[in-house]
Amino acid sequence: MEIKVKCNCGAENCSEWAILELQGVVESQPSIANQIQGLEIGRLCCSSSSSQVNYTFTVGYHELSGTKVSLKKPLLVLKKNKQEEGSVSNNELDLEVIGIIRHKILFKNRPKAIISRPQVKDKKASD
Amino acid sequence: MAANKGDITGGGAESFLALGPDSSVTVRYHPDFGPHNDLILLEAPDDAVLSDLLHGRVTIRGQHDEDAVLCTPSSTYAMKFVSTSNSVFLIPPGKPNLSDPQPNPLVSVLKLAPGNIELVQTAPRLDKLRSLLMQKLYKLDEEDEEDCSSEGLYTWHDLICSIQASNEELREGLRFLSAVEINGFWRMVHPKSVNMILTMVLTNSVLHDWSLDALVEEEVLSVLESDGYNSTIVKHCLETFGTKIENDNSKLWGFDKKRIAVHFAKQVLGSNGGKMRLEIFIEKWMRNVQKGMPFDLNMLEGEVLYETIGAETWIKAFSVADLPLAPDARFPVLFKERAKWAWKDLEPYVRNLRVPGMSSEGLLIKYTRRVQPTADVEPIFSAR
Repeated sequence: MEIKVKCNCGAENCSEWAILELQGVVESQPSIANQIQGLEIGRLCCSSSSSQVNYTFTVGYHELSGTKVSLKKPLLVLKKNKQEEGSVSNNELDLEVIGIIRHKILFKNRPKAIISRPQVKDKKASD
Repeated sequence: MAANKGDITGGGAESFLALGPDSSVTVRYHPDFGPHNDLILLEAPDDAVLSDLLHGRVTIRGQHDEDAVLCTPSSTYAMKFVSTSNSVFLIPPGKPNLSDPQPNPLVSVLKLAPGNIELVQTAPRLDKLRSLLMQKLYKLDEEDEEDCSSEGLYTWHDLICSIQASNEELREGLRFLSAVEINGFWRMVHPKSVNMILTMVLTNSVLHDWSLDALVEEEVLSVLESDGYNSTIVKHCLETFGTKIENDNSKLWGFDKKRIAVHFAKQVLGSNGGKMRLEIFIEKWMRNVQKGMPFDLNMLEGEVLYETIGAETWIKAFSVADLPLAPDARFPVLFKERAKWAWKDLEPYVRNLRVPGMSSEGLLIKYTRRVQPTADVEPIFSAR
């Protein structure tokens, strides 16, 4: 069986996706359960000090600090497509490159608790 | 364009990546946030593979019961899923589709990625190729036979779907097996037929006073075609036993004396396992090989083994080309043949082992036990 990995973008036109990565898990209030689509997670701010560019991600009453990282080995976003009915090939699925990720903003420090009135929609659980 | 199950754009990756000092964005769950199990992250190990992926030159090959491999035009990679304990939020590009205008730029995360696929270069899995092509060896008179089915016959496309190797590695594998494409099917030729054609070419070379160092392709083909031999097979004989010579006027082939000597040695000994006393072998070999052609036992390195039985030396057919290509299959076969090997005997049988990322010393360390009682004695290799 052979599955072609299609790509309509070519080197220059590949859509650039991005990653926000943090240690731990973002949890919602139990009352929200799985209805989280569209809900705010937090605010991402950028600041620079001396030579460095820093990012701060505020989730509930937690504040995380991180940096932008260039991926040494880029990640490609692949989409599995089920073959449509009546297609010529007898494979069940095909794959397509739909995006590339070259950078991510990574938060790997322990979150700091902000002592102020929390905006309670989401709370952050640290590991 | 097929309708997507949900919108997977509108994540604002551009704003996310362009975020500069003294600015901020709101990060939210995308309206279509969900598992999106049809989206996979694949790590590109280097620029070459990345370029192949972005230009659609990559395929995934394998049967349902095999681990899938990813193939570029020239290389084969195992696919390993590596999971992460971090929360990896995936952000697609594109402006969000908003009914109410937002004061700040908006970034929307579409999915939490559980991990990504890593690619590790691996040796092509070519041992299956031989077993497929051995199902129906090509014989010279097979057109006369009644069996016209294409069972046990494989086209290039059939091979691509069955063999986990890149196109280049597959072609190299076919060359190694001296396979030839006849009527669209890739075939290994039956040894008797190989011998018949070679003998015809050699006999005709004496008759027509051809030089074996500069055979004229056109002449060889036309003479043998008039004797009823398929030109594809005759050309294959020239490729198997000769080397093309660069020439402006006509295509010339120089026969390789070593390949011919090895061929006749195998004819004398029979297939793997055939053995005889060395003196008898040499006598028969001399008779088979064309007069005036050089031959010496060194040509048979990697094709024969010697045994001392009593006071006599015996010679036995044992061809490296018939052994498995994968090291974990080859070493057991070698140690089954002989429990202990001196390096000078073992070397021709491990010389062509190739594993990406492992040196030949590494292979020996992994698969053999090396014993060397003193520094001036040859080391002996046995099974681990």
